[in-house]
Amino acid sequence: QDRRVTGTVVSSKDQQPIAGVSVLIKNTTLGTSTDADGKFTISAPANAVLVFSSIGFLGREVPIGNQTVLTVTLEEGSQNLNEVVVTALGIKKEAKRLGYATANVSSEQITTNRTVNFMNALQGKVAGVNISSLGTGAAGTSKIRIRGQSSFSGQNNPLIVVNGVPIDNTNFGQNNGNTGSDGSVGSRDRNYSDGGDGLSSINPDDIEGMTVLKGGTAAALYGSRAKDGVIMITTKTKGSGQGIGVVYNTNFTTDQPMDFTDYQYEYGQGEYGVRPTAPNPTSGVWSFGEKFNGQTQVLFGGVTVPYEPVRDRIKKFYRTGSTWTNSVSVSSGSDRGGFNLSISNTDNKGITPNNTFNRKTANLGFSYNLSPKLTVTGTINYSNEYNKNPPQIAQQDNSTPTVVYTMSNSMPLDVLEANQINPATGNEYIWSRFQNRTNPYFVLSQKFENIRRDRLLGNLTARYNFTDWLYLQGRVGQDFWSRDQDYNFPTGQASLAAAPAGFVNGAYVQEARRFREINADFLIGLNRTFGKFGIDITAGGNQLYRRSDVNSVLVTDFIVRGLYIPQNGRVKDPTYGLNERKVNSLYGAAELSYNEVLFLNVTARNDWFSTLAPGNRSILYPSVTGSFVFSQAFNNLPGWLNFGKVRAAYAQVGSDGDVAPYSNNLFYSVAANLFPNPSGLGQPVGNITSGTVPNATLKPSRTAESEVGLELKLFNSRVGVDLTYYNKTTSDQIVAAQTSDASGYTNTLINSGKSRNRGVELLLTGSPVRTKDFSWDITVNGSYNETKLLRLLSDTIPNEQIVVGNGIYVGDLRHVVGQPLAQLYTFGYQRDAQGRIVHGGDGLPVRTSTPISFGSALPKYVGGITNSFTYKGINLSFLIDFKLGGKMISGTNLNAFRHGLQKETLVGRGEADNKMVGVGVNERGEANAVRAFVQDYYSVGRSKSLGEQVVYDAGFWKLRQISVGYDFTKMLPSNLFIKGIRLSAVANNVAVLKKWVPNIDPEQFGFSSDNLIGLESTGLPITRSIGFNLNVRF
Amino acid sequence: CEKGFDGLNVNPTAATALNPLFTFNNAMINTTFPGQTLVFETAIVQQIFTPNSGIVAGANYNIDNRGPTGANTGIWQRYYRDVVRYLVDVIDKTKADANRTNLYNMARIWKAYASMVLTDSYGDIPYSQAGLGFLGANVTPKYDTQESIYNDILKELTEATAALDATKPTEAGDIMYGGNIEKWKKLGNSLLLRAGMRLVKVNPTLAQSTAAKAFAGGVMTANTDNALIRNNPNYQNPVGGTLNSTEAANFYLTRSFVDYLRTNEDPRLASIAARYVGAKSGAEQTAARLNRDPSVQIGMPLGFDNGTIPAQATADKLASFYDYSQVDRTRLARLDAPTFMVTTAQTQLLLAEAAQRGWITGSAADFYAAGITAHMQQLGDADANSAVPAAAITAYLQKHPYVAANGLEQINTQYWVASFLNGPEAFANFRRSDFPKLTPNPYPGKEIKGEFINRISYPDSELSVNAANLREATSRQGPDNLDTRVWWDKP
Repeated sequence: QDRRVTGTVVSSKDQQPIAGVSVLIKNTTLGTSTDADGKFTISAPANAVLVFSSIGFLGREVPIGNQTVLTVTLEEGSQNLNEVVVTALGIKKEAKRLGYATANVSSEQITTNRTVNFMNALQGKVAGVNISSLGTGAAGTSKIRIRGQSSFSGQNNPLIVVNGVPIDNTNFGQNNGNTGSDGSVGSRDRNYSDGGDGLSSINPDDIEGMTVLKGGTAAALYGSRAKDGVIMITTKTKGSGQGIGVVYNTNFTTDQPMDFTDYQYEYGQGEYGVRPTAPNPTSGVWSFGEKFNGQTQVLFGGVTVPYEPVRDRIKKFYRTGSTWTNSVSVSSGSDRGGFNLSISNTDNKGITPNNTFNRKTANLGFSYNLSPKLTVTGTINYSNEYNKNPPQIAQQDNSTPTVVYTMSNSMPLDVLEANQINPATGNEYIWSRFQNRTNPYFVLSQKFENIRRDRLLGNLTARYNFTDWLYLQGRVGQDFWSRDQDYNFPTGQASLAAAPAGFVNGAYVQEARRFREINADFLIGLNRTFGKFGIDITAGGNQLYRRSDVNSVLVTDFIVRGLYIPQNGRVKDPTYGLNERKVNSLYGAAELSYNEVLFLNVTARNDWFSTLAPGNRSILYPSVTGSFVFSQAFNNLPGWLNFGKVRAAYAQVGSDGDVAPYSNNLFYSVAANLFPNPSGLGQPVGNITSGTVPNATLKPSRTAESEVGLELKLFNSRVGVDLTYYNKTTSDQIVAAQTSDASGYTNTLINSGKSRNRGVELLLTGSPVRTKDFSWDITVNGSYNETKLLRLLSDTIPNEQIVVGNGIYVGDLRHVVGQPLAQLYTFGYQRDAQGRIVHGGDGLPVRTSTPISFGSALPKYVGGITNSFTYKGINLSFLIDFKLGGKMISGTNLNAFRHGLQKETLVGRGEADNKMVGVGVNERGEANAVRAFVQDYYSVGRSKSLGEQVVYDAGFWKLRQISVGYDFTKMLPSNLFIKGIRLSAVANNVAVLKKWVPNIDPEQFGFSSDNLIGLESTGLPITRSIGFNLNVRF
Repeated sequence: CEKGFDGLNVNPTAATALNPLFTFNNAMINTTFPGQTLVFETAIVQQIFTPNSGIVAGANYNIDNRGPTGANTGIWQRYYRDVVRYLVDVIDKTKADANRTNLYNMARIWKAYASMVLTDSYGDIPYSQAGLGFLGANVTPKYDTQESIYNDILKELTEATAALDATKPTEAGDIMYGGNIEKWKKLGNSLLLRAGMRLVKVNPTLAQSTAAKAFAGGVMTANTDNALIRNNPNYQNPVGGTLNSTEAANFYLTRSFVDYLRTNEDPRLASIAARYVGAKSGAEQTAARLNRDPSVQIGMPLGFDNGTIPAQATADKLASFYDYSQVDRTRLARLDAPTFMVTTAQTQLLLAEAAQRGWITGSAADFYAAGITAHMQQLGDADANSAVPAAAITAYLQKHPYVAANGLEQINTQYWVASFLNGPEAFANFRRSDFPKLTPNPYPGKEIKGEFINRISYPDSELSVNAANLREATSRQGPDNLDTRVWWDKP
């Protein structure tokens, strides 16, 4: 017979109550958690054992015996012995049983220092996890790599699982180098915004906790999509403690663009040493003019303005943005269950003056024990997002960053702003002879883009406990979204050709997408102990069905000027696309334990992929892991060793490589418009739909990963060590390799190749000072990862390689056998034996005969150091993070060279003939004496694709976050309706401590592409955010 | 566990087969010359060029201009991806179909044409293995020698032209000739004549026999025989597109071209040239300033760049360099102007040369006059407003009679004018005939060793993805630069 047990949980340090401690009846899912006063109430059988766990504390198991009132004291510790981890399929396990590395992220880590896309707040916080925000605006994509990049192409982002069910994380935007996967979607016509990803629709306030499953073993039960790890997000399904709890949180930050430009301001606009004096439109972008000396210059067909430097272009063009999030949640909990209901609103004002983003979310989570044996849990997340005018990036037309970063150093922004539109024509006032460098103010006023997304994701789980050792669980989850996007190419833009008589030029695209993914699974679990032996068996199956379709219409030229709707278009090109795929799976896992110190876990999974060739669709793969808690196994260990565990794991994961459905065949389509034959009769025009050679024999790729790890808690748990070594090979990769154009195709789908990721992850925690009033905690995480290509198509071709993509101006990215993945190739300077640069008869540097490698774009070292200090309730913490060891080819700097903005281009200027002699030798080995135009000399990066000029170390050290908080709770009278107040001041991207690339932030990448890394082209400036977070509990 | 997967993985929104005529139409439409031909081809032969640097730098400075989408990649990417690929597919789908023999042979003729443009531009190129990425699973095609390519082109043109048969099903939906077999035969023979005459330097014997065979087979004799793509607002002329959008204010007629036409009182100057008198900027190139009067036309001299051309414009008493003459981009070079690939004018002029050389019977003077007449009339076909009056044609012919002693120069200089806006053909014929006599571009700081650019460089992408085959080609042909001559081109 159950009876009612009440109790209080307090901290051993200060005897203060701990809120939010999970209280579970051992071997069941029944439980509750403590309220703000650390109190709980639960009904439990007489012989039950209660399991207490909370992040930041060592867990405890307490047999109830005959007690009805308990006081439980928990020791502080960052990774506790009995800590419960949410593992694959949402199965909760004690951390000590796991034979693989996981990392927990608490909700505070996401909500206090928050970012619009919440993943970006985790930069530098988790060992082995490399998160990059891009220079694409607040609502842009977050790029996540766990243990490095494993595939040549396709998606390398981890699987995102919310409450046990995978969700879609499609990344929208210009994805050069992303190949044909339905996991990434580019824009249809000359639109280069980053449309964001799936993570951005989650409200961080709803997150109860997050677990990162890093290795293949952890992910074996998620199968193919988990080959790059899993991020498990648990949202709140009930309140902590009894009664109704209300929490209000508000977070406001201002976002300032960071300006790293370090241009020369000695010589102004002009070409070949001549400033604009005649009323011509000037280049607008060239700064190879005259030395500033109080002259005037003539712009825009007549305006005369002083010829003087224009500094601070970034601050002048961009504004200070802001992000304001308000959320309210109402929750209730009891031992029978509870619910959590929250709503939130986020308003982001981007730094681009016409860019805004709004997100509204509503989240309902509930769990209820219908009977002691039957528990029902469910969540519904609804979000509504509106991204207005995300900036165009990594492009010339309509891209404000490109123009702002490249325009001449004496181009006054107020003149550009005042002269956007030529009154005589109503069209863009041509300000530059590079007509696709659109006047950025014209872009702000004429170009629009709207992205609206509604998303509903949720799941329903029912679990029936037949006995305390056998249960059956059924679950169905759906992620559904619809996304409407429209954008224009403005009428009158200088780069557009005139429309046929009777029409005005311009283009407009309207697109509607729908996406649905349904995951249905069942699970049977059996858990028994026989003396010192325990057995835990799980078996189940899953069916994944994904369907996405898109209706899109592109119209070109208009009848009525300024009316951007499909029916106003002259040429109309509607298309429809549909993708469907299924993956069916069966799997099982068995865990054997001995005396709670030795654990062995084996899993097996079989997947069947609809996208692969018949006969190759099925793949079975296993995993085996073991862990040994040696600190509990022996009695004679020294007292300073509080906890010690070794673990080892081996796992395989099969995958269809995210290859798009229908990659098995060549398809034809008919163009939107007929072409008249000589008698004037319209004739169909046929296309082959793809430039990628299809592959009818695709088989699954396979990732095999082994890892060993050591976990230690020392000196009263004041020092913690978690060390992992892993070795992961991925073979039979599916990749679209670039081909010779002469084959008629641009890419071919190959299904071969093998790469290896090897690395070490280290998490060190320490509490150097811990006194009653003051404590100092330090967390260091770091990882070293090296990804090497072992094999491509054959074993015989030396230096075999594939090209996966090109930079906009210069450079390509290749995978070369025997080398780390993602080699950046471009032409280098030809040098003689002594390393001197060889110059040709034209006086310009000679390039190497073929492109040469400048190293891998992938960082080798990624990590962060967090220091937190607590003094009498005041908490200060700051995070320094780093990424080191990767290279980049910088398109922004290429433009800065050829446009004469780089300080290096001052060398050689000032001669009467505007020529210089480059330092080096000629082709006969004599000192170079040929004079070449200064402008031509520095333009070889573009004119000769001599990219060595702009190869840089992409590494950095950043002061990523600072927060200062104070908990006012204890100052509140205990009978006040307000139960708690916490206020924090926060700052993100505070400072770049060290970087090697000039003029930009090394993370300021324009591409949201999954694979095309290291080829930088101008993105939006990175912002420094400063603000506060206020959390009030009622 | 894989029930229904076969059906699920069939694309419901695309077709697995299509009438090959539709893809053939696409291949022909895509044969129009890319805008990049303005950077090299038309500038090398000194018809249209720009003083500007950046992506439009090339023959104006006698330098290469590479990069993923550099001007040297224009023909290569467009023709291999969008022409050769489709033609290989059409040939594959029709070769065993008794009802499509005419389509099959039309595709062979057009493939010979496209291959000629490619090999004339680059020299040795992938040919026998080209376009086989899917059908032959060959994504790294080997390079064939230009000699072997020409031998095969001659064979293909001969066989395919002979095999065309009006008694078999014809292809009314063909966008070039509406399936008119007689016109396709004339095209085949005219191309054979062009291919044969290309070999005058390297193999005069073969050139002679080929020209004679082509002439005997029947070549183009009227402008209604011309091989052209009738571009329209939906399928635009890429050269017209370039000249009417981003580069509208950047390309000008050269002084040599304008002066040649003006000093000869050529009535075509009024059809070709337009000047925005007094324009001080691109924005001022407005309809109100447009002047087509031949007497006010002034071409832009070569040898200047964006820094030095303003001073030259002042010296030429112009408001700015935007005041020089341009090709009339509201008429001949408008967005939807037709693209002429093989014309009666060119064909008749080639016959004139063959006759001059004594390789065929007939009067060189008559062919010469017919060629000039055809081109002047063709301008009216391109844009009715550009038509040359019949009287002006007669007057011009009277004033400029054929003189056998200067025959080759006269013929090929006329060929140069007749190939205006067909950069690849003007460039090829300039190299094979060494006419017209052009003064080398005097721009300081050239990259080439000789006086003129002799070929277009291979795209850098070939170095990345097809390096072994490329190296084999460059080791026998010569370095991959602008100086190396193609096989049929001898100094």
